Amino acid sequence: MAQAYTPGLKVTNRLSHRMRRVLPIAGEVKASVGDRVQARDVVAETFMPGDITPVNLSNTLSLPPADVLECMLISEGERVEIGQSLARTKGIFGLFKSEYKSKAAGTVESISNVTGQLIIRGKPLPVQVRAFLAGEVVEVIPNEGVVIEAEVSYVQGIFGIGGETYGSVRMACQQHTDELKADLIKPDMEDCVIVGGARMTGDAVRRAIEVGAAAVISGGMDDQDLRDILGYDLGVAITGSEQIGITLVITEGFGEIAMAKRTFELFSSREAADAAVNGATQIRAGVMRPEIVIPLSEEEKAREVEPEHTAGLLEVGAAVRIIRDPYFGQIGKVAGLPAELTVLNSESMARILEVECESGERVAVPRANVEMIEV
Amino acid sequence: MTKLNPDNINVILATDCGSTTTKAILIEKVDGHYRQTFRGEAPTTVEEPAADVTIGVVNAVTEVGELAGRRLVDDDGHIIRPTSNGDGCDIYISTSSAGGGLQMMVAGVVREMTAASAKRAALGAGAIVMDVIASNDRRLPHQQIQRIRELRPDMILVSGGTDGGNATKVVEIAELIAPAKPQPRFGSEYRMPLIYAGNKDAAPLVEKVFDDSVELSVVPNLRPVLERENLGPARDAIHDLFLEHVMAHAPGYNKLIEWTDAPIMPTPGAVGNILQTIAERQGINAVGVDIGGATTDVFSVFNGTFNRTVSANLGMSYSISNVCAEAAMPNILRWVHIDMDERELRNRVKNKMIRPTTIPQTLDALVFEQAIAREALRLAYKQHKEFATTLKGVQQQRTVGDTFSQELGGQTIVDNMQLDLLVGSGGVLSHAPRMQQTAAMLIDAFQPEGITMLAKDSIFMMPHLGVLSQVHPQAALEVFERDCLVYLGTCIAPKGAGKSGKPCLSYQISGGSLNESGELAFGDLKLFPLAPEETASVTLEPSRGFDVGAGAGKPLTADVKGGTVGLILDGRGRPLAPPTNAAECREAVTSWIGELDLYP
Amino acid sequence: MQHAQAEKEQPMVRRPILAFMLVFPLVSSATSVLADPPRPPANLVASDAKGDVGKKVDLSWDLSPDDTAEAKPRRVIAYHLFRKEAGEAEFAKLKGEPTYQSTSFTDENCERGKQYLYRIRAVAPGNELSTAVETTEAVIPEMEYFVFSRVWYGIILLAVCGSVTFFIEVARSGRELKIRKIAGLEAIDEAVGRATEMGRPCLFVPGILDINDIQTIAGLTVLSHVAQVAAEYDAQIEVPTCRSLVMATARETVESSYLAAGRPDAYNEDNIYYVTDEQFGYVASVTGTMVREEPAACFYMGAFFAESLILAETGNSIGAIQVAGTAMPSQLPFFVAACDYTLIGEEFFAASAYLSGEPHQLGSLKGQDVGKVIGVTLLLIGCLMATLYSVTGNETIGTLVSFLTNNVLGGGGFLP
Repeated sequence: MAQAYTPGLKVTNRLSHRMRRVLPIAGEVKASVGDRVQARDVVAETFMPGDITPVNLSNTLSLPPADVLECMLISEGERVEIGQSLARTKGIFGLFKSEYKSKAAGTVESISNVTGQLIIRGKPLPVQVRAFLAGEVVEVIPNEGVVIEAEVSYVQGIFGIGGETYGSVRMACQQHTDELKADLIKPDMEDCVIVGGARMTGDAVRRAIEVGAAAVISGGMDDQDLRDILGYDLGVAITGSEQIGITLVITEGFGEIAMAKRTFELFSSREAADAAVNGATQIRAGVMRPEIVIPLSEEEKAREVEPEHTAGLLEVGAAVRIIRDPYFGQIGKVAGLPAELTVLNSESMARILEVECESGERVAVPRANVEMIEV
Repeated sequence: MTKLNPDNINVILATDCGSTTTKAILIEKVDGHYRQTFRGEAPTTVEEPAADVTIGVVNAVTEVGELAGRRLVDDDGHIIRPTSNGDGCDIYISTSSAGGGLQMMVAGVVREMTAASAKRAALGAGAIVMDVIASNDRRLPHQQIQRIRELRPDMILVSGGTDGGNATKVVEIAELIAPAKPQPRFGSEYRMPLIYAGNKDAAPLVEKVFDDSVELSVVPNLRPVLERENLGPARDAIHDLFLEHVMAHAPGYNKLIEWTDAPIMPTPGAVGNILQTIAERQGINAVGVDIGGATTDVFSVFNGTFNRTVSANLGMSYSISNVCAEAAMPNILRWVHIDMDERELRNRVKNKMIRPTTIPQTLDALVFEQAIAREALRLAYKQHKEFATTLKGVQQQRTVGDTFSQELGGQTIVDNMQLDLLVGSGGVLSHAPRMQQTAAMLIDAFQPEGITMLAKDSIFMMPHLGVLSQVHPQAALEVFERDCLVYLGTCIAPKGAGKSGKPCLSYQISGGSLNESGELAFGDLKLFPLAPEETASVTLEPSRGFDVGAGAGKPLTADVKGGTVGLILDGRGRPLAPPTNAAECREAVTSWIGELDLYP
Repeated sequence: MQHAQAEKEQPMVRRPILAFMLVFPLVSSATSVLADPPRPPANLVASDAKGDVGKKVDLSWDLSPDDTAEAKPRRVIAYHLFRKEAGEAEFAKLKGEPTYQSTSFTDENCERGKQYLYRIRAVAPGNELSTAVETTEAVIPEMEYFVFSRVWYGIILLAVCGSVTFFIEVARSGRELKIRKIAGLEAIDEAVGRATEMGRPCLFVPGILDINDIQTIAGLTVLSHVAQVAAEYDAQIEVPTCRSLVMATARETVESSYLAAGRPDAYNEDNIYYVTDEQFGYVASVTGTMVREEPAACFYMGAFFAESLILAETGNSIGAIQVAGTAMPSQLPFFVAACDYTLIGEEFFAASAYLSGEPHQLGSLKGQDVGKVIGVTLLLIGCLMATLYSVTGNETIGTLVSFLTNNVLGGGGFLP
């Protein structure tokens, strides 16, 4: 059983990436196959049916519901304006007629003779989908959206907060092990995607919001800081709709943890390039990770393609990171793979492996508590 | 599916296709009794690349076959039936919760009445209820439509109105659902199954509202009068539609449906089945819990009434962070007897959430994880109690004697004093390194009162037996009693509160290897070893104000069963409230841990 | 205003003959001392009354030696009091006469800051006046800021108001005030829900008294909640009233509830109607409606008399969930027996605080409870001590009892 947990996070310098950008409901697609689109371009648009205003005519006009239809001055599908008379009762011998004047503008959706209810639907609400990935439209899904393809540098984080945002990459830390502190955030980082090293401090995030940065990416952060920033304790790991004025992505985990060296170097090499960041995360069946997409320019595309990194087999010499206390975040090499079950300190029986840490220390951890990394 | 004479059934093969693993067990007739003999498991293969559930089933079954030395799968990859020359099996049955199980949306007129009944029907059938639409859910019509559109349920259940009662509201709800055009989860090629189980007079009107985009089936009203619930027809309809529509569209299931000798059931529905059968046969009240990574299911049978709840965001990995948010750190840390840094713990919790497969390596981590489990179970049980109630909206009969004791309708039917059997399953309970830990977690979270037997379902065999109980109840019962449960022991807890150190119970235990008598002080725990096969007779005399089941201060004599842990006398009082002062609390928890020998 | 009249400086001593002639026929068989004026009282003391705004002067004196309890017939029948401001020449008689055997009087018509001198004479049955006794030093009535005799009233008032304010603050700070669950009010949702599911109306009867009765007001408070729930559930609510004013108020109440629930279009004022002022005419109409329309929920909230059981029985026979609330002690047993839930007296009045959950209402409810607790505790202590005193006759207890009855409870205390 030579398996280790792989979060399956993609970090690659060059990738031909395809993205489906579709509307939640059917609508109009604004791009066609072959178009080159920029990240902020609207590729599809639709109008959500507007708000519904129900009017109980049978009550307002004191009519049995079945008689409502006879009194209607308008019919289903017609547009109505505020103040327009919608229904008038027959009255007694043509006298004492009462009327209902519309209090909402919209289209008459239905008139029910069971409930005596009239439903007016208000003005449609626009829903737009932007390209997010700057590239070429390779497919149009009729009435739904498009598929965009581009050569990009692509990084998946492990956890994020906040929605889609765009900006140019700015390195704030020198080393992948440097903490991202507030004094490293400069006022000229407005609208930038700030890349830090290890943990981002709560102050740094607040400072970044102050200067108007688009996103902050770093290795880790404290849950306590996350709670302070959000204003509540995050329970269910479904994010993306937070409105905190910035998008945050952590690439490794919570607490003091450095960004993987390769990820950090990738960002360094793409400094000043335009990036698109989405913090939306869903840790559930159908997992969704936050992602950072940096399209390649023409000259960069000419460079050689980096070989595909795949998580190798868990074997002696493989690079691993320990992902659970007490050695959380430590990186090392597999030094031994004893086959038999071993009793842990917690008295649980588990298959373990021995890791030789960078510090030279040799520790034994359950196999479930390491993940393969690429060096 | 062929009907077999139950007497000719000697070898039974059962599988449970979970969302991550497919588990297969083999039940054989040994010396005239049915016993579970072998088991095997393999990863579930619903998702890409395999996208055929039967591959996982065959893998798991092959493993069982190899262990049993019995060929169960032929060269074409089919299960061999019936037995011949020591190969194959007599019947094959299966349950499924792959692909997230059965997800439903329910609707009713009043949230606490018909909508609650609809929710009960759906949960009882083994579904996950995504949302409940009711006319008093404080949402505006367009918000309800928006919500229906966002959810992609596998099925919708609409109820509302008593027979001859409200028709207007039911039609209004149907009018809300119809324009929302709910989208089914598995592709758009099949029509959304919709069950109508409301006011029978409104059925024709409802039928008129829906067009061809839904597959409407009308079943008898689940609340014909407010005084009575009739959930059976709706549950059956859910099972039928689950097979016909939902399962048939999941990859490989059409094959699996053909293979099985009994309809495939949603896993939780099957668990409910077996628990109900056991409770009915033995005349006991039982509670079962399955704590998973994302959700916690609680099942209960009290006086023949079955209830099930799913706490969607209480679990030990994906949902661990939510448990901490809902229970709050201080509540979790009250169960911990060693120093821990809260900031560090918060990070650990979140890291477990984003990397759910890790296991606790150190003792600290284990203690903390079990503390979280206690709170997750406690919260799930609380939700269950709130849901498992008597019916609301029922006229009360009063006498003048009720002047000062007017009780409301809709009270919970969960009564810990009447609880006889508490069964736990799920990773953190069944894989705890020491049996005492499982028992302690169950006692601390569920707080059983009086005399309660504790057990765990170590390999989660209940779903298999649930389906089996429909085909061959006798076999299911025999296996359940002999192989399914690991009896942990019996908990005796007097109900009441007192001063710490004052006696709350005097006891006399004889039988088995025990011959003990003495007094139990309030706030203390005592453990007497009593082996699984042994029974002991106990005579309990609670102090004034304490109750062990015969009434406050009244003595009780009973026979209790032993288990791998033994007999636990819990004098910590009910409701169980650890001291609020942190230092006192730690002292108390340390002494409890010491008495039960929970941790090294 | 001049209350006293000028006293003639010519007493009867100088006209003994006239006096004698006047009195003689009345006391023909009596002694010859009759003609003598009584001896004067002594030691007249005037002092400023404590704890007033400066309008009173307390007067006290020693009885005239002729004014004895045993004397028959009485030699003194009253005392006349006179007053003058320092510097004035004449004394004026004060209004009001202290009778025999009294030794004190309070002049309540003084002006603050002025100097007063007093004079007293004893009066014999024949209106003979004794010689006058006067105060020598002028007394000046002054204003005091505290009425120390009412200090217990102040303490109790502070305790009650203080606890009201305290609990309001507690409620505002977000801490939950524990209020006992009132099943009858919790059941409103259930009752209206039943009506909704069964597609039947809810019936609300606000009692048979007019709007000036506090129970009717309390009933309408509950009505506003019932109407709001009905609006949310979209159930129909029917309110027959026995008084036209109640109808008008009920309409306003229900309409604003529908508005608050966001369903103003669902409000139909025709469902709130006036029937008749006649008690049994009203009952006949309401029970008739009940039998015909079979409402699924009936609420009786207000003042009820003989009709209580007629209504509740009819409601029970049609299978409705019934919630009653009244402060009529004689009707409560009927409601308890025939209804599903009954609000008893105080519960009924506490309904608006309970239902609204607003901090100031909850706080004052809780504060009033503290007041009731204080009152009941004092009464219990008093009863206990009075019993003990009458049994044992212990003087210390006796003093305590009188302190309790006179100071804490009586006069300036709990029961002003």
